[in-house]
Amino acid sequence: MTKKIERRDFLKLLAAGAVTVVGVQQKSATQASGPVGSSPHSWAMVIDQNLCTGCGYCTLACQAHNDVPPEIEWTPVIFDRKVGDRDVFLSRPCQHCDHAPCISVCPVKASYKRADGIVMMDYDRCIGCRYCQMACPYQARAFNWEEFDGDNPAVPDFGKPEVERRPRGVVEKCSFCYHRIDRGLEHGMTPGVDTFASPACVVTCPVDARMFGDLNDPHSNVSETLENNAYFQLRPDMGNDTRVYYLPARDA
Amino acid sequence: MMSKIKRFLKSAASFLWIVLLSGGVMAGLWAGYQVMTKGLIVTNLTDLIPWGLWIGIDLSSIALSAGAFSLCAVVYLVGLKEYEPVARTATFIGFIGYSMAMLCLFMDIGQPLRFWHGFVYWNVHSVLWEVTMCVGLYFSVLMLEVLPIIAEMDWMQRVFPKLAQKAKSIHRISPFLAILGLSFSLLHQSSLGATYGVLQSRPAWYRPTLAVLFIYSAVLGGISLTVFASMLASRVSKKAKINDQILNSLTRALGWGLLGYLYIRFWDTFSLTYNYQPGRSESLTMLTSGTLSFNFWILEIFLGAVVPIFIFLKGKWRENPTTRMFGLLCAVVGVTAYRWDTNMVGQMIVLTYLPREIQILYTQYFPSLIEILAGVGVVSYGFLAFTLGVRFLKIVDHSIAEPVIEESHSREKERHSQPRSLPNPTGD
Repeated sequence: MTKKIERRDFLKLLAAGAVTVVGVQQKSATQASGPVGSSPHSWAMVIDQNLCTGCGYCTLACQAHNDVPPEIEWTPVIFDRKVGDRDVFLSRPCQHCDHAPCISVCPVKASYKRADGIVMMDYDRCIGCRYCQMACPYQARAFNWEEFDGDNPAVPDFGKPEVERRPRGVVEKCSFCYHRIDRGLEHGMTPGVDTFASPACVVTCPVDARMFGDLNDPHSNVSETLENNAYFQLRPDMGNDTRVYYLPARDA
Repeated sequence: MMSKIKRFLKSAASFLWIVLLSGGVMAGLWAGYQVMTKGLIVTNLTDLIPWGLWIGIDLSSIALSAGAFSLCAVVYLVGLKEYEPVARTATFIGFIGYSMAMLCLFMDIGQPLRFWHGFVYWNVHSVLWEVTMCVGLYFSVLMLEVLPIIAEMDWMQRVFPKLAQKAKSIHRISPFLAILGLSFSLLHQSSLGATYGVLQSRPAWYRPTLAVLFIYSAVLGGISLTVFASMLASRVSKKAKINDQILNSLTRALGWGLLGYLYIRFWDTFSLTYNYQPGRSESLTMLTSGTLSFNFWILEIFLGAVVPIFIFLKGKWRENPTTRMFGLLCAVVGVTAYRWDTNMVGQMIVLTYLPREIQILYTQYFPSLIEILAGVGVVSYGFLAFTLGVRFLKIVDHSIAEPVIEESHSREKERHSQPRSLPNPTGD
């Protein structure tokens, strides 16, 4: 065997390898780097710090609804500051950033963006490398350090979770209850208006501090609220363009 | 073969060494079993410090494997054939190093059985994806480069002569493998730095220099480890034969390299002092006068750079094998400490997301017993593989290239000649 043929064979092998890889890649290209699919909607959440009492019902409803393990909170409520003699709280779901750092760093595209703005997690694809946890400035992502088996203390006797439990070894986070939104739209409902079609935390909030709706609809509750009120977003310096807006607490 | 193994084990010191390492591997296997069955809950990692000891070992072993690609490039692409036997050692060390890294990663990811997802589901925007691809592909290159070394083993030649001949013929495509290895390594060694450097949410890391420093320090550390391991092997085993002239000139090059490294390192660190930036300034304080200050000043800067620079550039100290080996070991420790500190510092300082004022949250991490045992297991495996390689695979044998050294002055002639096939091992 002469050296020339060796070289040619080698190059052929390289080419064949490249073709195979590109082929596989085409097959898995269902989740492109941009938003997946197209949607007339653009979902957003508004949380009013004036109304929030820090009761933590949103956290609990979320845990019950999404079958979140007790040591994980998808939307924790933390103490923010004092305004006058009043405690002000901050509830922090996933911010569903438009420029989400978790999506760009994920090595396997387990995190991806839907066209309606929701940052999704593919729990069957996640390898559990936890790089997204480092990239998220909001600590919105939690890792399943151990298997969660047994009863979920957050789930009441009269109901059961609507979302499948995640396995050990994947990262999980708030999903804006996308399954409720999709289900509601199928039934011709309006997410944010009809409780059947709104995220669990929004439905359960006893003081209506949370609003959910479509930014593409100028007459939706979120669009009008953001039009008429001062609001802020978390870590705007990061340039993430988050989809959770907060109305700051005023001194009463 | 059997008589050789017996003779090898008879020597009390090597017997003890092998027993010790086997014990380490056993402990690692037990720890690995715990991790696989119980999950990562057995570690001390948290959502705020998700990457710990294993990632430190992974980063260090990849960095210290960089001798393989750099020396192969020197030999097959630059054409300095006299370094070929050192490249052989480096290739074998690289093979061990990358397998160590992959063992660590296999334990560290939450879904080990999905390790192949990176090769199928591409996210070309992710530096970690690029690292995954390059590490996987480069490991294949290393396997091809190591196959001829295994094929040259007497036992292989006796028992599977045809297979050994086939495997040895891979040697002919060495220049191509060197090009592939160089490409993959340049990509992922720097991307490992970028893995940290691109994270805007962690200001301790967020800067472009990490990628440059990672590849630079990896080349230095990789060659240092190769030279050190060659010299150590020649001291404890009659099987290892070194040509001190080659190692001496490599070490001098390392000295100049380290000087350049220290220069870039100085400006990289100094630029952090210019202004206050939440998180970043605290990380500098942590490195220079906080928890990591011993690692930074003593291990990274003094032992890792200053001491070896003096030893490597002063002829008398460099030519003395003992001081040279000390200097090489220091350089290796320096690179390891740099990887460890880089990984830790960005995780030990977390920024809160509260509005109005960004606050600093300090976190703590110390590996759990199972993490340590698993780490011990991986490192023991590496030492064991190298020890057996020295004994049975002639991976440190500069006598193979002695004729080339004499010819090195007439390199022109050699360039036109056919690639030299390695002489058959002559046995004991």
